[in-house]
Amino acid sequence: MTDFLEMRGLTMRFGGLMAVDGLSFKVAHGSIHGLIGPNGAGKTTTFNMISGFYTPTSGQILLRGEDISGLAMHEVARRGVVRTFQHSTLFAELTVLENALVGTHMPFRPNIFAAIIGWDREDRRGAAARAREALEFFGLGDLAEERAGDLSHGHQRALGLAVAYASHPDVMLLDEPFTGMNPEETRQMMELMRRLKADGITILLVEHDMQAIMGLCDTITCMSFGKFLAEGGPADIRHHPAVIEAYLGGARHVA
Amino acid sequence: MLKPVMFLLGAAALIALPHGLSFSQQEILVFLVINILLVMSYRLLTLTGEWSLGHVVIMGVGAYASALMTKNLGVPVPVGMILGGVTAALLAVLLSFPLFRMKGFYFLIGSFAAGEIIRLIWKRFREPFGGARGISGIDPMPDFSLGFYSFDFFEPVSYYYFAGTIVAVCLWVLWRIEKSPVGLTFHAVHWQDKLAQASGVNLRAYRTLAFAIASGFAGIAGALQAHYVGTVNPNSFDIEVMVFVLTWAIVGGTTTFYGPILGCVLLTVINEVVLRGMGFEQARPLFYGAIMILSILFLPNGLESIVQKILPRKATAKPDRKAAA
Amino acid sequence: MMELLAQTGLNAVYAASYISLVAVGLVLIFGVMGVINFAHGELFMAGAYAVVALYADMHLPFFVAVPIGMIFVGMLGLVMERGLFRPLKGNPLGGLVASIGFLMILQSLAVMGFGVRMEHIPPVTQEVWRISDKVGLPVARIYVIVAAVVLLSALWYFLKRTRFGWALRASAQDPEAAALQGISITQTARIAMFIGAALAGVAGALTAPLVSVNPHMGHSVIVTAFIVIIVGGVGSLEGAIIASVVYAFVHTFVTTFSDGVVADIVGLSLMLVVLIVKPTGLFGSADRA
Repeated sequence: MTDFLEMRGLTMRFGGLMAVDGLSFKVAHGSIHGLIGPNGAGKTTTFNMISGFYTPTSGQILLRGEDISGLAMHEVARRGVVRTFQHSTLFAELTVLENALVGTHMPFRPNIFAAIIGWDREDRRGAAARAREALEFFGLGDLAEERAGDLSHGHQRALGLAVAYASHPDVMLLDEPFTGMNPEETRQMMELMRRLKADGITILLVEHDMQAIMGLCDTITCMSFGKFLAEGGPADIRHHPAVIEAYLGGARHVA
Repeated sequence: MLKPVMFLLGAAALIALPHGLSFSQQEILVFLVINILLVMSYRLLTLTGEWSLGHVVIMGVGAYASALMTKNLGVPVPVGMILGGVTAALLAVLLSFPLFRMKGFYFLIGSFAAGEIIRLIWKRFREPFGGARGISGIDPMPDFSLGFYSFDFFEPVSYYYFAGTIVAVCLWVLWRIEKSPVGLTFHAVHWQDKLAQASGVNLRAYRTLAFAIASGFAGIAGALQAHYVGTVNPNSFDIEVMVFVLTWAIVGGTTTFYGPILGCVLLTVINEVVLRGMGFEQARPLFYGAIMILSILFLPNGLESIVQKILPRKATAKPDRKAAA
Repeated sequence: MMELLAQTGLNAVYAASYISLVAVGLVLIFGVMGVINFAHGELFMAGAYAVVALYADMHLPFFVAVPIGMIFVGMLGLVMERGLFRPLKGNPLGGLVASIGFLMILQSLAVMGFGVRMEHIPPVTQEVWRISDKVGLPVARIYVIVAAVVLLSALWYFLKRTRFGWALRASAQDPEAAALQGISITQTARIAMFIGAALAGVAGALTAPLVSVNPHMGHSVIVTAFIVIIVGGVGSLEGAIIASVVYAFVHTFVTTFSDGVVADIVGLSLMLVVLIVKPTGLFGSADRA
């Protein structure tokens, strides 16, 4: 089935404010799907609904045909949908490896009795191996013993992705991963995402950096004022008059 | 190589310790050991970010449970103690349903209310709790012999060894939990709950787990106390005792494993040496109160922060760092 | 039966009076300073002991002893503000812990100064206002009711009609905006602390002849105060007064028809229910807890 993740009439109302209004779009399996729109368009709110942080006022979120709207965050995660965060959610005082280990919680569920007696050695080795694998994937293998708070900004971002990757997700929701990155870091991150896609992971990406969006995404959905505005491939969106108008209110190239 | 040697030396010192003390000091030692378990069980709770004011009442639940089971149901004392811990843990699971809907300050007040209600129930009902006078004539630990040592539980020294062993085992379990993936998850639940949730962690379940384990150990501490003192009554578990526990934890610090132990030992020693020695028994709350205030004003990270400054920092930084992968 | 109900009702009105004084004081402190004053019950006790010292021991007239006691406790409040809450601003857990430390100090001082035994000081007046044969209210209790009404009205006037009061309310609502408007946060903190403590102290002073004064009397006072402000809503003064009346009636009636311990259990359960169902309480506003 290619309609892996589908929003149907997704609506989020906060009191009198309609943050998202009747949003519908589909994310194809194994694709990189971009979600763009000017500030206040409702992208982050949509994200928060998919990941389970908010319960939608109405509408559905279908994952492999199952309605996951309204599930708790950890329930959504357990169905293979893992998100990253814009603002720092790393354990600054712990090592990079320890941070990655948090991400192995789902594939290597800790058992307290085994842990006390010491029967969980194999599990722990497996978790550590998986964590190292995730770090290697994002180029952080050499930094495993570093304090996470000492990392550069770009490396911290990569670590956030590594934590999410360590849990063997099917879908990764990336919340503005390119923010604050210089062109070189952006290029490297884009490469990493292509490798994620090659790994079979579906990516839904909220982002402002147009270079990254256009260079990475198979499909792009554009929102404006909480509503669906346009959808298509990078070439379509780049020249779409409504999108250009939404961002700039004028006639300038979005590229 | 150094660590096991230090360990053995420490153990030897602890074993030899009571023989240099007077009878009443040996009694203090027994209570100190029990209180260490109590404050360390409290620390587990604070690891997940929960600060409760009902913890000492939960200790009392273990005490009452063990007392009632051994006295009324003829359960052997060691079994009663274990069951006391289990009862406390089960009660904690029950309490988690209403209490964990409250956050922060509200949880503090709510835990106090729940604890106080339990305490008042003990006070109110002569059957089976003995009312305000509580339960007396609780079975002591039966004497037994290990060949090289005979436990005569009339002697505080014997009970010190007995309770000390149990407490040591409990501390070992707490240590193992903390160093395990479960411990890491507790840490995550406290400090980065969103990241934990996104990694599939059920916050409620883990908070309840920590609460139950902490309560179980508090219950064991209560049972140890009940079978030593021989009586339990509602006043043994009131807010004043809770405040002492809070003081030990805050003065010592809860970030490290040894912090609360430091706080408990230091305050108990000063209490005995200074106050009893100088005859200011009544001034114990004044002393504790002043320490609490000075501590929170001038040493907010606890005594453990002093220790951490003295000990060498673990080197984690590697000399060269690559800018990009 | 009717008479029992009427008598209990009168007793409840009396209880509501001093409870509302204490609760309003606590809400004022929390509202303006954002800190939970666990020592509030001991401030009540300090007021009671002030009257023990001034009225019972030094034989000052009761109506001189009470205001002096009130001001004395107000000044204790200032000590707390300067020594504890101001250095710990922005650290509510720290403020809470420090207030616990302070309550232990006050308790100890009371024990050392007055001993552990209960004090029964001579009554102010033995007269009883009789409605019927079996229903009446001791005049000494009427004093408490009247004083509560007067003081709370004065407070209402102060808060709604004077500049200081307006500054207090502004600080409680939005400290940063208030500061930007030139309101001295320190000044308002001191005023709030003084008034809040003084209210607790005057309640203790007024009821001293009617209860047994002992160093641990603050414990039940603080528990009651917390129940009331949680039920009423943590930031709300009106909520505190209304909840005081509700609690006083519930507690007094249950005590009369069952017993005191059951009444305490009921009160705590009520608080627990509110915490579970609607933590912000009946009249709760945006809380700063």
